[in-house]
Amino acid sequence: MSVFFIASLLLVAALSFGTTNDLGNAYFGHSLANIEALADPAYRTVLLRSLAYAVLTSAICLVIAYPVSYAIALHSGRYKNALIAMVVVPFFANYLVRMYGWSTILSDQGPVLSLLYRLGVPRSFHIVNTGPGVVAGLVYGFAVFMVLPLYAAMERMDTSLIEAGRDLYGGPLRTFLKVTVPATRQGALAGIVLVFLPAMGDFVSAQLMGGPNQIMIGNLIQEQFYGGQNWPQGDALTMLLMAVLLIGMAGYLRRARKDEAEAVR
Amino acid sequence: MSATRRPAATARRRRRGVERKPLFAFACTAVFFFLLYLPIGAVALFSFNGQKSLVVMKGFSLRWYRAFFHDQQLLASLRMSLEVSTLATACALVIGVGLALGLVRSRGRVGSYAAFIMLVPLITPEIVTGVGSLTLFKGIGMTLGFGTVTLAEVTFSISYVTVILRSRVAALNPETEEAALDLGATRWQALRLVTLPALLPAIISAGVLVFAMIFDDFVLAFFTTGVSPEPLAVNIYSQIRLGVQPTINAVGTLMLLGSLALIALAIVVPRLFGRTGGLEILTGD
Repeated sequence: MSVFFIASLLLVAALSFGTTNDLGNAYFGHSLANIEALADPAYRTVLLRSLAYAVLTSAICLVIAYPVSYAIALHSGRYKNALIAMVVVPFFANYLVRMYGWSTILSDQGPVLSLLYRLGVPRSFHIVNTGPGVVAGLVYGFAVFMVLPLYAAMERMDTSLIEAGRDLYGGPLRTFLKVTVPATRQGALAGIVLVFLPAMGDFVSAQLMGGPNQIMIGNLIQEQFYGGQNWPQGDALTMLLMAVLLIGMAGYLRRARKDEAEAVR
Repeated sequence: MSATRRPAATARRRRRGVERKPLFAFACTAVFFFLLYLPIGAVALFSFNGQKSLVVMKGFSLRWYRAFFHDQQLLASLRMSLEVSTLATACALVIGVGLALGLVRSRGRVGSYAAFIMLVPLITPEIVTGVGSLTLFKGIGMTLGFGTVTLAEVTFSISYVTVILRSRVAALNPETEEAALDLGATRWQALRLVTLPALLPAIISAGVLVFAMIFDDFVLAFFTTGVSPEPLAVNIYSQIRLGVQPTINAVGTLMLLGSLALIALAIVVPRLFGRTGGLEILTGD
């Protein structure tokens, strides 16, 4: 059994490093030109845009997920398990099909905009093909990843803290902000990571919900492999994406460890 | 009269104040669920549309389902996806079970490094894994196609299998296996006759979930597939890029039904074996 374990471990190690870290292997002979090309202002714009979209997506997901997970974890009684299962089920519907449905609903002829136009919103208002449209797609795609860790944190939370907050004459909102939010910070942090990572690498939302002016770094990478056929450049962009994400992860881990140390004290 | 009632009323009001249902949070939750299911519902609804439109529903018809079942290219994609998912799930289960057993039992530096490596694919964005796999496969001269997709999906799903099974392995009572060994079983017999049967419900659930994930996976398949046939998700992607394709509504609805059936299976199977729960696969406990 241990032989089997070591063999499978080696296989996984070889494969996971092969697929995540050894990216440039096939191109070691090349110059640094591809890395230098990353300094191109066009790339910088796309990278900054991707960062902005991913940060915004995480923030919006957080704002949505707090009341939702609060209601499910603390106030749904015996429907709790059914509700949390309902949160997870759409995740198993095909991501592309979901995004496709979402983009039809938010399209110019879709039900949402038809209603808004009838209510007097000017015809020049669009969702699909705009930056906010891309963010709307990302939020729809990944909100579940925020609800689940927050829900877990709320469930573990000591609810007598909330009662204490109320007994000390905190209003509902104040108690929520001063007691519930700090007590569930670890869940929120985990959720932010879980949303930020896939949002940063996504290219489907930008494709379906945005136009050529809203492309993200994922679209650039995909183009290098399928349109431009410039693989080394695509690899370099992937490394750049990975570097950004690793910096983010390092920040998260440091923060989580600090929280843990504080909790022990 | 009213003077005697007042204290009770205030007390009641105050108690209700503490337990008051958070209406705002409930409203948010209702809107959240509505929006979460709206696109899926729309896809399912318009798959029965008599027209080609994706916004106007006119008449009930099965023509898009018929179109799907007559589309040779889509059917070839479906078959490929089924084959890839089956093969990759089987491989991932074998390796994942071995890893879970090994990881739980090897305490020490190797074990903790291995546990860390296991988590790397889970926190890497899929596009990075996809690009990495493509570069690696091309670098060692493999032809893109069925084999590369399957290999990529196996590496991606091993981590899921191991993570799901690890807690179950840890919860096993090691004494039962020791008892088998004391009674003269070989290590292999003890594994086959004692440990694996105890893990079977969890293995089946993990297999069903991983199968659903692989079948639905798009990004990895997109980067590692050859030209023809393409896995179903990749085919769908190329079609929705071209514009209105009502057939996709029908395919999407069928895929959704398939996933639901699989989830139901993942929940039901452990219960058949006399365990409560099974739902923890969804809730992540």
